[in-house]
Amino acid sequence: MATSSKSQVLSLYRMLMKESKKFPSYNYRTYALRRIRDAFRENRTVSDPKAVETLLNRAWDSLAVIQRQVSIGKLYTAQKTVVEDRGAKATD
Amino acid sequence: MASRVLVRCVRSLARPSARLCPVNATVRAAAAPLPLNRRSFSLLSCSQRTRQTDQTRVPGSLVQLCRQYGDLPPLTLESIKDRVMYVLKLYDKVNPENLQVTSHFIKDLGLDSLDQVEIIMAMEDEFGFEIPDSEAEKLMSPEEIVQYIADKKDVYE
Repeated sequence: MATSSKSQVLSLYRMLMKESKKFPSYNYRTYALRRIRDAFRENRTVSDPKAVETLLNRAWDSLAVIQRQVSIGKLYTAQKTVVEDRGAKATD
Repeated sequence: MASRVLVRCVRSLARPSARLCPVNATVRAAAAPLPLNRRSFSLLSCSQRTRQTDQTRVPGSLVQLCRQYGDLPPLTLESIKDRVMYVLKLYDKVNPENLQVTSHFIKDLGLDSLDQVEIIMAMEDEFGFEIPDSEAEKLMSPEEIVQYIADKKDVYE
């Protein structure tokens, strides 16, 4: 992987994680964080530029979806689940 | 601030006048509750300086009321270091036994660049400010993080 695309991937990873942390719903939040971590680790050895490109595009699409769902989730917040009620701040 | 000064002037004016003309008792009775109310209100909103003056004037336990906003202990290099190391120890992929202040995340601790991104995000959460991408990728060891945060928070020693 070229260095330019490495920093690109890292910043994309960062953006995805940051955006996913904003999910008001515990279930979506933890799922999104876990899925992003796993997906990036799973494809860390991919070196084919074509494959990297498709993966990056998929990540950008996911970022858009996450952003949209976060704002929709904020409009329709549900009660907090039992697991997150105890801690005042749920990080991940 | 101006209203506080005004209230104090009015109070000091109202006091002697009430004492000087005890003829009209009804006026005094009507005026008496007013400064009392005002006093308790101003006690709530008074700052350190005016509390001193009120303390001499108002006896009783009301004086104990005070607000303390943003009352955090000041950051020192030592406390920043402790907090950074604490966050790192809680990170599940870091082995606390291998963790040194000087250890390189990738070379010594066997993490990858994705882990490093996550560590920086954890630091942002801990210290409550954003670290831009260009700076974040240079922070590769606990001591560099401590140095960066100290610079940002104006901690020098």
